[in-house]
Formats: sequence, C-alpha cells, structure tokens
Amino acid sequence: MIESIAFYMMAGVALGSALLVVTLRNTVHCALFLGLSLAGVAGVFGTLGADFLFASQILIYVGGIAVLMIFAVMLMGRTSDLTLRQVNQEWLAGLLVCAITAVGLWRAAKACLSATASGSPAASTRPLGRLMLGDYAVPFELISLVLTAALLGAIFFTRREAGGRK
Amino acid sequence: MIEYVWLVPLLPLAASLIILFVGRESDHSPMPYVGIAAIGAGLWISLRVIFDGAVGAAVLPFEKDWSWYSFAADLGGRAFIFDMRAGVLIDGAAAVMLAVVCLVSLLVQVYSLGYMHGDTRFKRYFAYISFFTASMLGLVVSNNLIVTFACWELVGVSSYLLIGFWFEQKAPPYAGKKAFITTKLGDLGFFLALLLTFTYAGTYNIVRLKEAVAMGYLPPVVLTFIGLGLLAGAAGKSAQAPLFIWLPDAMEGPTPVSALIHAAPMVAAGLYLVARVYFIYLASPAAMEAVAWVGLATAFLAGTMALVPYDIKRVLAFSTVSQLGFMMCALGVGGYTAGLFHLTTHAFFKALLFLCAGSVIHAVHTNDMRSMGGLSKRMPVTFLTMAVGSLALAGIPPFAGFFSKDLILEKVFEHSHLMFAVLVFTACLTAFYTFRMLFLTFLGDGRDHDRVAHAEESGSVMTVPLLILAALAVVSGWLFEHGHAFASFVGNGGAAEAAAEAAGHGTQAAAGHALNPMVLAVGLTAAAVLLILLAYSLYGGPDLSRAARIKERFLPVFNVLENRWGFDAFFLFLVDASDRLAVLCRWLDTEVIDRIFVDGWGLICRVFAEISHLFDALFVDQAVDGCGYVSRDVAGRGLRSLVARGQVQEYLLYLAVGVSLFAILNK
Amino acid sequence: MTLTLGHYLFLGSGLFIIGIFGALTRRSVIGILMSIELIFNAANVNLAAFNRFLHPDGVTGQAFALFIMTVAAAEVVVGLALVLAIYRSRDKIYMEDINIMRG
Repeated sequence: MIESIAFYMMAGVALGSALLVVTLRNTVHCALFLGLSLAGVAGVFGTLGADFLFASQILIYVGGIAVLMIFAVMLMGRTSDLTLRQVNQEWLAGLLVCAITAVGLWRAAKACLSATASGSPAASTRPLGRLMLGDYAVPFELISLVLTAALLGAIFFTRREAGGRK
Repeated sequence: MIEYVWLVPLLPLAASLIILFVGRESDHSPMPYVGIAAIGAGLWISLRVIFDGAVGAAVLPFEKDWSWYSFAADLGGRAFIFDMRAGVLIDGAAAVMLAVVCLVSLLVQVYSLGYMHGDTRFKRYFAYISFFTASMLGLVVSNNLIVTFACWELVGVSSYLLIGFWFEQKAPPYAGKKAFITTKLGDLGFFLALLLTFTYAGTYNIVRLKEAVAMGYLPPVVLTFIGLGLLAGAAGKSAQAPLFIWLPDAMEGPTPVSALIHAAPMVAAGLYLVARVYFIYLASPAAMEAVAWVGLATAFLAGTMALVPYDIKRVLAFSTVSQLGFMMCALGVGGYTAGLFHLTTHAFFKALLFLCAGSVIHAVHTNDMRSMGGLSKRMPVTFLTMAVGSLALAGIPPFAGFFSKDLILEKVFEHSHLMFAVLVFTACLTAFYTFRMLFLTFLGDGRDHDRVAHAEESGSVMTVPLLILAALAVVSGWLFEHGHAFASFVGNGGAAEAAAEAAGHGTQAAAGHALNPMVLAVGLTAAAVLLILLAYSLYGGPDLSRAARIKERFLPVFNVLENRWGFDAFFLFLVDASDRLAVLCRWLDTEVIDRIFVDGWGLICRVFAEISHLFDALFVDQAVDGCGYVSRDVAGRGLRSLVARGQVQEYLLYLAVGVSLFAILNK
Repeated sequence: MTLTLGHYLFLGSGLFIIGIFGALTRRSVIGILMSIELIFNAANVNLAAFNRFLHPDGVTGQAFALFIMTVAAAEVVVGLALVLAIYRSRDKIYMEDINIMRG
C-alpha cells in the first residue's frame, strides 16, 4: 500500500514537472522543473527497489545534468527570452502526433496490467557491481572511453571559441 | 600372336612419322629401311595370324577393343553412359587382307628402292607409302565403323599425296585432285550410311551392328539405304561405275604407287568394306542386287575401254577397274568367298603387272606402247614375269586368275544368265586386251630404236619382288582352291554368309541350273586362248597395219571407247554446268537479290528511320524535356521549399509521424 | 490495488510522449535537450520496471539503465558544448534560426 502511494506520488511529481518543463516560457524554470522531474523518476526507481539506480539518478541527473542545464541557460540567457513564446508554430501537429503515439503506447501498456511483482526486491548494488566488473567489463570500459571522448569533445568545441576571444 | 594384331597398322604409322621427321632428305637416306622393317614386322604378325587361324591355335573372329571416349547421355528420359569403343576385329577376310596388304606393300617398297632412286623427295616418298599402308591396315582391322571411315579418308588423303607426288608437273596434281574429289563424292554416301546406322542401331561396332541386324532392329528400307550408301562409298574408293573416272588418271603417280593403289590396298578398300558389312546386304536383297549390277556395269565398261589405249599403265588401270567389277558383281550375287578369293589373287598378279610395267617404263622412259616393242630380248625377266601375270589375268589354267574367275562365273550363273553372258564376254575381252598390251610391249620390232636399244633389265632390287609376285601368281590360285582352304578359312568369320551361300547353292542346284564347272573351265580357257591368238595375229608381229585397218573401219567405236564412253565428258559437263549455275546464282545474287531485296529493304528502312526520327524529335524529345522541366522547375523547387527547409524539428516531426504510425497500427 | 508492470509502463509512456512533444515544439535548443533527457528517463523507467517484474533475479535491466545514464550524460555534455559554440559564433539559440541544413 505504501509502495502504491509512493509510486503515485513520485509518478505524479515526475509527470507534472515534465509537463511544466515543456510548456513554461521561462527557461530557468524549465531547468529547475527538469531537476524536479528527474528526482521524481529517482523516486520511482526507489519504489522499484533499484537502490543503486536511485542513487546514481540523483547524483548524475539531478546533481549533474540539471545543474549543467541551468549553467547553460544562465550563460546564454537573454532578458527578452522571458517574454518570448517558447513553443513553435508546429505545436498542433506535434500534439496530434503525440496523441496518436500515446494511443498506441497505451494499448501496448494496457496488456501488461496483469503482470505483478513476486517477492520483495533484493538489494541490487552488489550484483550490479559484480555484473559491471564481470560479464559487462568490456562495455563498462567502453562506456568510460565514451565519457572521456565526450569530455575531450566538449573541451575541444568550447576551447577554440575561447582562443578566438583572446 | 593374334593379340598383338593391333600393332600391324601402328608400326607403319610410327615408321611414317619417323621417316618424315627424322633425318635429312638424301638419295642414300637409310630411312626407307625403317618403313620396310615396320611393314615386314606387320607381315610377319599377319602371317602368324593366318597360320594360327588355319591350324586353330587362334579363334577367329578375334575381337579386342578399348574405350575411346564416353559421356553421359540422356535419351528419351533414359540416362545412360555412352561408351565409344575402338579396337580390332579379325575375321578370316580381315586376316587375309592384312597379309595381302602387308605383302604387296612390302614388295612395292623394296621395288621402290630401285625405282625411286635419285628422286628429289626420296625420303618423303617412303613416308607417304608407309602412311598409306598404315591407314589401309587400320581400315582392315578396325571393328568400329567410325574408325574405318577415318582410315578410309586417310587412305584418300595419302593416295592424293602419292598420285600428285610429282607435283612440279601439270598432270599429277590434277589427277590427285580428281581422285580425291571423285572418291569424296562416294564418301558422302558412306557418311550418310554411317549416320543412318547410328540413328537406328546406336552403335558403330561391327559385331554389335550385326547382332542388331540379326535381331531385326533395323527396318528393311533403312538397311537398303545403308547398303546403297556404303555401296556409293565403295564405288568411289574401288573405282566402280560411274565413279571410276579417277583411276586411269591416277596413273600419273609413280608406277609403284599405281601398283600399291591398284593391286590391293586402296581399290580393295571398297570391296573389303562391302564384305565387312556383308550382313547388311544379306538382309537387303535390293542393295545386294544394286551391288551386282554396279559391278557388272563396271566390269563391262572398263573391259571395253581397256581395248584401245596405248598407255601401258592405262590398260592396266582399266583392267583393274574391270576386275574390281568382277569382284563387286561376285559379292552382289552372294559369292562372298568368290569375291574375296578373286580380290586376293588379283592383288598378286595385278601388283606383278604394275611392277613389270614400272620396270619397262624405268627402262624406256615412256608410257607409250607405240614406242616400245621387241623388249623381250632386252628384258627377259620382266617379260617372263609379265607374261605370267598376263596369263593369270587372262584366266588361263593353272594360273591364279583362272580359279578365282571361274568361281565368280559359277556364282553369277546361278544368279542370272544375262549377267553371266556379259561377264563371260568381259572375261574374253580381258584375255584379248591383256595380251595386246604384252605383245605390243615385248614382241615385234623396236618401233622406237633409240629407246629400245638403250633399254636394260632392271636391277635385282626390282626384279626380285617381280619374281616373288610371279611365283605367287602361279601358285596362289591352286593353293587356295585346293581343298577349299580359302573358303573354309574366310567362312570362319562369316558363318552366316557361308550358310547363305550354301543355301543358295542348294536351291539352285536342286533346280538344275547349276553349271558344270568342267564345261565352264574348258570353254572359257578355249575362248581365252583363241583371243590370245587373235591378239597375236593383230599385234604380235612387226606389222601393225592390220590393226590399223580394223581401227579405221570401226573408228566411231574406237572413238567412243577412247572417250571412255563419255563418262569423263559427262563429269566435266557436270562440273561445267555447276560452274555455270554458280555464275548464274552470283548474277542473281548481286543483280536481283542485292538490288531489289537488300537495297530496297535498306531504302524502306531509311524512310522509316527518317519518319521515326521526326516523330522522335517532335514528340518524344519534347516529352522527355517536359518531364525534366516539370521535375526541376515546377515540382522540384516547390517540393524542396516545402520539405527541406533546414528545420531540424520538422524532420523530427516526420520521424515522429512514422513512429506514431508504427505505434498505432501495431496489433 | 497492487502495482503492476502496466503502471510503470504508463509512466514511461507519459514521460516519453511529453519528451517527444517537447522535442517537437520547443523553440530553444536547450529546451530540446531537456526534452531528450525526459525521453532517456522514460526508457530508464521501463528498463528498471522490466527488470523488477519480468526478471527479478537479475540486474541486467538496471545495468542497461546505468549505461543509458552514462551515454545521456555524455550526450548532454557534447550537446551543451555544441550549443554554446553555436551561440558564441552566431548568437542564436532558437531552432528556426538555425537552418544551415536548408536544401
């Protein structure tokens, strides 16, 4: 029961904030609500018993990505943005497409309403660690390579402009 | 020994290649001895084969073959492996032929050592002779009709090379071509017969073909056609009517070659072929009758033509044709043994006559009998041996020709009295023209004193073969006739033929038509002797004026005979007509067909092309340009500005539309 | 009323749809990046839910979610760097102004 209440609360937070993210005009608010939505998803992970995912969601998304977004908004922010419309002309077409997709997804998800969980979730951190350094060692190393490459790329893209400014 | 019989044709073949490619051309080239050794070995093997067969040490017919080539075939849904085999089949006739060919070839080669001495192409001559002998022997031993045909053609090629050996002169190449083309005309029939054979019997193997005929797999009409086709081939090669025209011209070759071609090997090939596939003729009375009539016509026509020429070799040539006609006729009336018997004896005495003629020509350097005469004192050995040969040819007992000719006439009498009458007449002619030739050459006065005075007896390398052949001409007939040795030996390989012969003999004898052999022999001999005396009275003395008077009185007849009954003119007319036809066709082709059809069609095509080009330029090109214009300027620009605006979100929207369709259409 | 897989899938679908809508309609580049983060999260929710409901014995789904998080982080870093570069060189952050792919 408590699980259900937690799920609904967290799901509501995540969905509501997400809606605000895509509809608000003030980009700073959007970024803040993005953080809240990501935190809601972290809560959902919690209700699933994925404790390590919960932690990393908070660390990476809420603590990292959302903050990075706010930084970017601050860097590029203009006062005129606050009054400008933040939705383009094709929003009606987008809404239609999304509605159609939603119907399809709803039909697919409805079929899974009978699948219930068995037993209580076990702690997942230790098995995750074993998996990452065991069977998935090669993808694990690869993803670290990807991260390094992304880091280097980001520095490369921004550095030239910095050099040009000097 | 009989299992090595396949060596007999291969040894001369190897010898011919060795002679051709080893050593230098020279008068004293030792290479001819290679050929003589090879043919000597072949003669030894074939004599052993005959001996083994006669005493029963070897079983005849002997057949041995090897796979030549094979392939998978599918005929009417039946898949099978077709295996073409080639090998040797030795029956009595083949064994005898082998020995005869080897013997004559050996003697001719030895003789040629003297005759061809000093010729510029001394070595090559022996290569050709060996090659010729090899092809002929291959023809004799082969058990596969295709191989027989191949050897048959090789015989034709080598005879072409030999007849045209002195190609610097005008006549020999012409004679060679004439021989080659005329025999080729007959080979066409042979080839068609082969095609028919395979179509109906599915085999070229003679033994299996015989089984197929015995089982009745071949319809009678097909058998008749096969028989006629083979007869055409045989008529070409054995110089039967009307294809005998090449043989007198073939005298242009070296005289030993004439001996080789005429005596046994080449001209006998056709007869041998008919004898080899005798079962086909036995199964087809019509073809058999045709064989008989062709032989009869040949014998008569050639016999009459031999009466008039003054070229010593031509007389012999016509005589050969006539004798071949005798043999063919014998085969045609069912005298298998008689035909082969005459073939064998004739091989000996005709080779003898040719080699004697060669000896004479070698001495006086001319072929014309009018320039000879009175040579008997200067060339006694040649005269004696030639006299023996002539007696044998004329059928005087006890020489070989008497026995074999007698046998043929007996057979023919059983078959048809008309044929018998014609053949008896021809036999009498034979005696006359043979002795006309002999008397003109050796008796009387030397009409050309320069030539005759300088004539000398040939060397021993030439006379020894003559003596050997003369001995054979004397004894072979008696030897073979004695106790029916030849008949029983040859019949070995052809029990069916022997049975047919016996059956025919029985019925005829029962009907009371059989001829008394004694009456025939005595009557024929008497007639021959009479005609020899007549010949002596006309040509034997120094005075030839009586002969000249007879000639004047019967000039038209002489002219007809000298023109060879118009056969040469007829064939030349055919050639000329086809030539004219070709010219006409060419005119038709260039002037009518090219002008009207080809050029006219071209004109029509050009007109249509112009119209089509106009249509193309006016409508099609415009349509194509229009398509390009529409797609580039109208639709292209509009579509591009509509879709590809560089708005990434629009692209994403298109993507999302697709995804949504997948989502909603998913069942 | 117990929770089922369907509930989590509804949540994931909702987040996905909202993310798609945002990606389609936001004018600012940063807004689009945020929407894409939402889509990533929708996928992560689904993976974690499948892990919990269909394969409770293993943690493979969670491992994949972790990988996706890492990739998302890398994507955001590179994306923001690109946006910053474009902003610095062209002074533009709205999608309709950035049409260098115009055909």
